[in-house]
Amino acid sequence: MIFWEIAKRNLRIHLLRSFLAMLGIVIGVVAISTMGILGNSMVLSVSDSLRTVGDSVIVTPHAGGSARGFGEGTGSTTFTISEQEFQQIKRVSAPNLAIPVLRTSERMKLGVGSEDLVAMVYGLNPDDVPSMLILQEGDYNRGNSGCLVGATFAKDNNVKVGSRISMGKDGEKGTLRVTGIIEERGMAFDVSTDSAVVATQDWFEATYDRNDYDQVVVKVKNLDEIADVKVAIEKQVNRRETVVDVMDTRKVMESIFEAFGQITTFVSAIGGISMIVAGVSILNIMMMSVTERIKEIGIMRSIGAQRREAISMFLYEAAILGVVGSIIGGLLSLLGGYAISSLMLQTTRYLFEPSTLVHIVYGMAFGIFVCLICGIYPAWRAVNLNPIDALRHE
Amino acid sequence: MNDEPVMVFRDVVKVYPLPAGDVTALAGVSFQVDRGEFISVMGPSGSGKSTLLNLMGCLGTPTSGDIWISGVRTRDMTDTELTSLRRDRIGFIFQYFNLFPLLNIIENVTFPMMLKTGKGVDPERGKEVLRAVQLDDSLFTHTPTELSGGQQQRVAVARALINNPDILLCDEPTGNLDSKTGAGIMDLMTDLNHKGTTIIMVTHDPNIAAYSKRTIRITDGRIAL
Repeated sequence: MIFWEIAKRNLRIHLLRSFLAMLGIVIGVVAISTMGILGNSMVLSVSDSLRTVGDSVIVTPHAGGSARGFGEGTGSTTFTISEQEFQQIKRVSAPNLAIPVLRTSERMKLGVGSEDLVAMVYGLNPDDVPSMLILQEGDYNRGNSGCLVGATFAKDNNVKVGSRISMGKDGEKGTLRVTGIIEERGMAFDVSTDSAVVATQDWFEATYDRNDYDQVVVKVKNLDEIADVKVAIEKQVNRRETVVDVMDTRKVMESIFEAFGQITTFVSAIGGISMIVAGVSILNIMMMSVTERIKEIGIMRSIGAQRREAISMFLYEAAILGVVGSIIGGLLSLLGGYAISSLMLQTTRYLFEPSTLVHIVYGMAFGIFVCLICGIYPAWRAVNLNPIDALRHE
Repeated sequence: MNDEPVMVFRDVVKVYPLPAGDVTALAGVSFQVDRGEFISVMGPSGSGKSTLLNLMGCLGTPTSGDIWISGVRTRDMTDTELTSLRRDRIGFIFQYFNLFPLLNIIENVTFPMMLKTGKGVDPERGKEVLRAVQLDDSLFTHTPTELSGGQQQRVAVARALINNPDILLCDEPTGNLDSKTGAGIMDLMTDLNHKGTTIIMVTHDPNIAAYSKRTIRITDGRIAL
């Protein structure tokens, strides 16, 4: 169509002006997109560290309650969950899996001549372990003389499958053989195994003389039921007095992501300001383009160009500026996002996730939208001039 | 060919409302233009000549009275309908040529045709019309600024003719040309009129008006008899 051709030629003869307008849009798109990319990469990075915990309800002894724990020494203020309470939790959360967790910190030694070290020791039922922990090496441990170790623990202490760990001071609590190494789980609300040793529940109970639990983790299969499970446990166990605290990990994660989302929105809004500045410069350029062509519009209208045809000429101009500027901006955002990710997050693997890349699409769409909006008003003003007045315009 | 008049004005009044008081530019004008006529409109400045031209070209609407263009009454037409009427029935020729500087000669000439068909340039039709106004083939791909005034006005005439309009409406077509070039344009007009084109020409130059077969004189918004 001829109006498309005129729009193109007009941009070309005012090359510097068009370039400057486009530069504004490029900067705007880059500002919005890179902020979005950075925000989303951060969210992904955090959710990666938290990814294994989003499906759990964590039951812990109520910290503000009276000290209980029968088998403990006098004056002990250890809070625990009794077997009876565990059975209640298990019943109300069925068919979801309720996993009792035992834990303590223990002194231990790796091989003869090495330094003593202190690490967290968990006691878990071997039947429950596969549904909670993923191994990167070796096999799940079934016997009471075996254990699993976390990836960080294995790496820091040069532990391999088959290594032996002497538990307690001078090995007084026996020796455990490592059967498998647990894949890195990151920060978790349920069990943090990365720097820990995971033994069996039986070994733990026998070694530390325990018949109660430090924590119960309920794995909820259907995530929509997570809130219901939480309420059911609270209702049952805290019937008379508050004895346990129940945490819904999905809620916690949701509030974390919400906070990140707000930060992302805020920084993108700052990027949006630069887009508005770009829009104003487009508006200015389109007004100029219209003003110096009022007579031309008058001629066009008098020889039979409809209003919408004359409008289309200016909208094409704005659209070309918007689309080309946005495409360049989108490409630069990809580069900028790559640079900023590798500088701030030390990794670029979150950049190529669809949820990150979509921010480039948002930025580009907003750039084109701003251009069209800023092109409409001058065009509308131009074609609503009386053709006679427009013809007389010098 | 039908015998219907290509243009009829009946009791046309045009009043411009101004803050200082209404100005009556036309105070009841009636005339008729038959097919094949060559008419000049003459009058001193401020006589209502330009207003008359704008109304003839459907660029404005009368305050009262009626105008028919090729049998179509324009009074209740929308802007879109009037624009289509200008495009299909009227060819405009301006004093200052008014070609589009961004388009080459062929594109300029076929512009109204592209508006009508919604399609791209039809170079064959453009060349045909350009040859009819005796423009040299070598100039067809040039831009308007590379042409002389006389050449530009020939292109403008070709543009006005491209949609086979019922009327060619000229506003001082030689006003911006030297007398020799102007005479060339007037010879072209006369030639077109002999081939059947209806021409209405607004001018203040009696020598130019002499080319026409009939002259309408207008004074103080009325036709002087």
